[in-house]
Amino acid sequence: MIAVGITAGSVSISLSDISRIIAGKSDDVVSYNIIYNIRLPRVIAAVLLGGALALSGYLLQTFFHNPIAGPFVLGISSGAKLTVALTMIFLLSHGRNIGSAGMIISAFVGAMLAMSFVLIVSFRMKSMSILIVCGIMTGYICSAVTDLTVTFADDSNIVNLHNWSMGSLSGITMQDIKVIAAITFICLVSVIFIHKPIGAYRLGEAYAQNMGVNIKLLRIMLIILSSLLAATVTAFAGPISFVGIAVPHLVKGMTGTTSPPVMIPGCFLTGALITLFCDCIARTIFAPTEVSISSVTAVLLVPVVISMLLGKHGNERD
Amino acid sequence: MNSILRTASLTIGYDKDIVSNINLEAVPGRILTLIGPNGCGKSTFLKTLTGQLAARGGIIYLDGKELGRLKATEIAKQLSMVMTTVVKPELMTCREVVSTGRYPYTGMLGILSEHDRQVIEDTLTMTETRDIADKLFMSISDGQKQRVMLARAICQEPDILILDEPTSYLDIKYKLDILTRIKKLINDRNIAVIMSLHELDIAMKISDTVAAIGKGRVLKCGSPEDVFKESFIRALYGIENADLSLIGTMPWYADKHTKEDAAISESSLHADKSSDFHLSGTNYPGKGRARAIMIQGTMSNAGKSLIAAGLCRIFADDGYRVAPFKSQNMALNSYITADGGEMGRAQVVQAQCARREPDVSMNPVLLKPNDDRTSQVIVNGKVTGNMSASEYFRYKKELKPVIKEAYEKLAEDNDIIVIEGAGSPVELNLNKDDIVNMGIAEMADAAVLLVGDIDRGGVFAQLIGTVDLLKASERERVKGLIVNKFRGDPSLFDDGIRLLKEKSGIDVLGVVPFMELNIEDEDSLSDKLYVNHSGVLDIAVIRLPHISNYTDFDIFGQLPATSVRYVRRADELSRNHVDSLSRVLFPAKNRPCGQDNRQIPDRAESEMKCSAGDPDIIIIPGSKNTFSDLKWLMDSGLADAIRSQAGKGTVIIGICGGYQMLGRKILTAGREIAGCETAEYETAECEYEERITKNTQGPAGLNLLPIDTVMEEDKVTTRFFGSITGATGVLESITGLTVEGYEIHMGRSVPYDEVCEFTSDGTGYCRGNIYGTYIHGFFDRREILAGILQSVGKARGITVDTGEIIDRAVYREQQYRKLASGLRESLDMNTIYNLL
Repeated sequence: MIAVGITAGSVSISLSDISRIIAGKSDDVVSYNIIYNIRLPRVIAAVLLGGALALSGYLLQTFFHNPIAGPFVLGISSGAKLTVALTMIFLLSHGRNIGSAGMIISAFVGAMLAMSFVLIVSFRMKSMSILIVCGIMTGYICSAVTDLTVTFADDSNIVNLHNWSMGSLSGITMQDIKVIAAITFICLVSVIFIHKPIGAYRLGEAYAQNMGVNIKLLRIMLIILSSLLAATVTAFAGPISFVGIAVPHLVKGMTGTTSPPVMIPGCFLTGALITLFCDCIARTIFAPTEVSISSVTAVLLVPVVISMLLGKHGNERD
Repeated sequence: MNSILRTASLTIGYDKDIVSNINLEAVPGRILTLIGPNGCGKSTFLKTLTGQLAARGGIIYLDGKELGRLKATEIAKQLSMVMTTVVKPELMTCREVVSTGRYPYTGMLGILSEHDRQVIEDTLTMTETRDIADKLFMSISDGQKQRVMLARAICQEPDILILDEPTSYLDIKYKLDILTRIKKLINDRNIAVIMSLHELDIAMKISDTVAAIGKGRVLKCGSPEDVFKESFIRALYGIENADLSLIGTMPWYADKHTKEDAAISESSLHADKSSDFHLSGTNYPGKGRARAIMIQGTMSNAGKSLIAAGLCRIFADDGYRVAPFKSQNMALNSYITADGGEMGRAQVVQAQCARREPDVSMNPVLLKPNDDRTSQVIVNGKVTGNMSASEYFRYKKELKPVIKEAYEKLAEDNDIIVIEGAGSPVELNLNKDDIVNMGIAEMADAAVLLVGDIDRGGVFAQLIGTVDLLKASERERVKGLIVNKFRGDPSLFDDGIRLLKEKSGIDVLGVVPFMELNIEDEDSLSDKLYVNHSGVLDIAVIRLPHISNYTDFDIFGQLPATSVRYVRRADELSRNHVDSLSRVLFPAKNRPCGQDNRQIPDRAESEMKCSAGDPDIIIIPGSKNTFSDLKWLMDSGLADAIRSQAGKGTVIIGICGGYQMLGRKILTAGREIAGCETAEYETAECEYEERITKNTQGPAGLNLLPIDTVMEEDKVTTRFFGSITGATGVLESITGLTVEGYEIHMGRSVPYDEVCEFTSDGTGYCRGNIYGTYIHGFFDRREILAGILQSVGKARGITVDTGEIIDRAVYREQQYRKLASGLRESLDMNTIYNLL
């Protein structure tokens, strides 16, 4: 898949050329640049961000005991998008560029704000559907505000901003990759370390507590890690929808278990794979024009979510 | 038996208290079952035990350690649970579910060790879940699920297992299955089980101990035989007339008592938990803000407290949730509530009448006079300081919100509040910023009943005068008059009723007869202290000027076989003294005269035949001002008289302040006086003494017990439950008896010489026939009082008949019932209900 990702593109470069370029034996500067500065970062980003997104979705589903929770559905991605957009416009109007650290921080703040709103709702309302409706509403409000600011911000970078806010993996540099890799790696390791309480949490809060799980700590960890992961994705690729919701279900369906030692790597890898796949489609299907990656993920993953919901209700009727 | 889990005065609930003062324990190898109606708090209790819910008060001990201080995994290794709520873990196999029980034992990454695997397999075998182990949990039946959840709990290898309705939703096969497994588990592993059950038939068979929860407390805790009596179960679940046989033939344990007796024996079982259980059903009229009725009097001692108490009982009997309220009390006699707050006794009596646990919000302000000038001010149960009258008068305004808050708290939780006023509502010079009478009536929007005392005379002037002096707006609040303490045929007062109505324009709602009641009093002005009874064993209570907690001696009032005298002068101590106040003659004493003591001789005879006799028991009561009362004792010559009685071997018992006075010295800590040289006595005696004599000084006591008391700043207020550890002398035979009571004191007494511990935990010491203890309510237990009287009687060569003594709680209940029925007959209850 990675190979396909690198191969596919507006400029066709043969597989043998690529292997030579990667091995450092080619003199073709254009191809080298395309591979090293455009395609390779993009592929790596797809892998890391896709994994991050799926993991974030898995954590949120664990947290809410709710199978259709996900960063996009709960409005967390949109919250992050809003603050990133605001920060971007603010800094650009002051003639400064937003660094990757700034992106992540502002995205994280936005993610946490949206998350806390959803949390407040979830403490009052136990109903799954209300939670989701609130998340979607939050998402719409954030998007509306983002669009509004974009409309009124007169800057040439608006085009960029617009592209970004649609969700795209283009334009990610090797520099960004380092940051993404670091954060994703830290989060992944942390999640691996809390897999034991996550496993216990499957039996519900009461039992988990009875087993000796520090519920408060676990909940805080889940919130922070999922928000951080979602924020990272949003900061660099804009909101990518449905990967967070659908991937954990795909993994569950494929492996037939919910055991965290399976779920955590499973979600990460599947998320990476799917995002990579979707990204390939996004940039090749109408090449040289790029389709927003969210469009592709929506088309591909919404059926998964719907079938999952149908299956769920079917089960409950038994 | 050692309990593995114990609760101490635990209060549970979500936003407000659901059940309070829970004292239960779980013992290894035994099943404690909780029963009670839906919503009574069984599950809440279990949730609190498992830590899902924070306790609202009290402490849970797990294996002797406070639950709140243990780490989650430490708790998990000792305590596991199965809840009612069905879990829906997605795609988990039963083995996975069971494995989660090993959680507290595995490391950070949750990798199961060989041992863990072995435990899991053993558990699967034991619970016979091996064949479904690899099935998905969601795909098995409810009965199997419950079995798997039980396996999970067992896998945690707990010492105590908590089960919330483990048999709900199960068919009979699985019910049997689960219960058999639980029984087996207890036999095999000797674990303790606490569970809640709805099925009474099962509870009755399987439990070792049953705790019945209802009405916000543990109503009964005991063996199934004790608890499963038809009348109690009917009352617990509020089943008045339904035919119980419809739900199967219940082999109820036979009811030995009538309903009324059941109420009495119950209250005696839990005397101090005030579990006087309400048997007449639960027809609460809808919750919400309580309606208030206020009893005001034309003067102190018009009988407000008792009428309020009686109304509390009547309302409670009629099925209402009632609470008493009196904003401010002035009394020496206080009571310590379960959570350590101090409040006036009158509201305690009223709360008991209302069948409620006394709470400081029923009496938010308590003034305890120190001397003629200053009082100790107690707000919401805690001492806030000493104030003079004028200081308090200024401070009073600040108390308004406190009082209002206390009242609101009660009003939220009750149907009816019975408010008691204080003194007279028309003390015109004091009525500014009133927080005791009409001010409160206004605040609570209460209908006011005005009580006059016809026994003291002038009832027309009292009632009409008071009504006249009220402001017009206040007068409108007075909805009825009550003539109290009427002696003789009430119909003789018909004219009086007409005249009162005519002159005041207010209806007379009742003429209450003078009732012979023995209900604890609050105001030290009560007549009781001045009246002496005649009897056989002669008990002299020293009437200290600042006597406190004299309800300690109320129980003696039940005894025709004893006389309790309150002694103020040295010459009164010997019992041939003719009391000038009451003109009651004390009977002859048999030793000098050789008379049969059980017959009260007539006056002339005893006057002729009897010479001076010594009292059989001298009691020095508690004091609000130990220093000044000790000085009074010395100055009045009573000290010498007591010492000389001690020389003759008379039994002397000191309670609290009186106990302190029995010692050698009372010292005030913290007053620095340099060097050991200033000490009056040898410093070598013991280390402790050296320490206190270095920096303290204080008056000498009666020097009858080898103890020294150091007064400290901190006030000890606590309930006491212990025993007589080693009585010496005449009272030797009471050693080992249980003592229940409470402590309120500021000093600490320590022996400096060989002496015997009288009451446990160093709360009292004795030597020879001199006994001292800090425990108030010391005499309240039947065994103690009977033991003391019999021992003393034996020493005096008299057989004392103590058959009539009953526990205070039972006795109290009889008195309350008498009061309520007397009031019900004489008051126009229909009109009173209409006022509400």
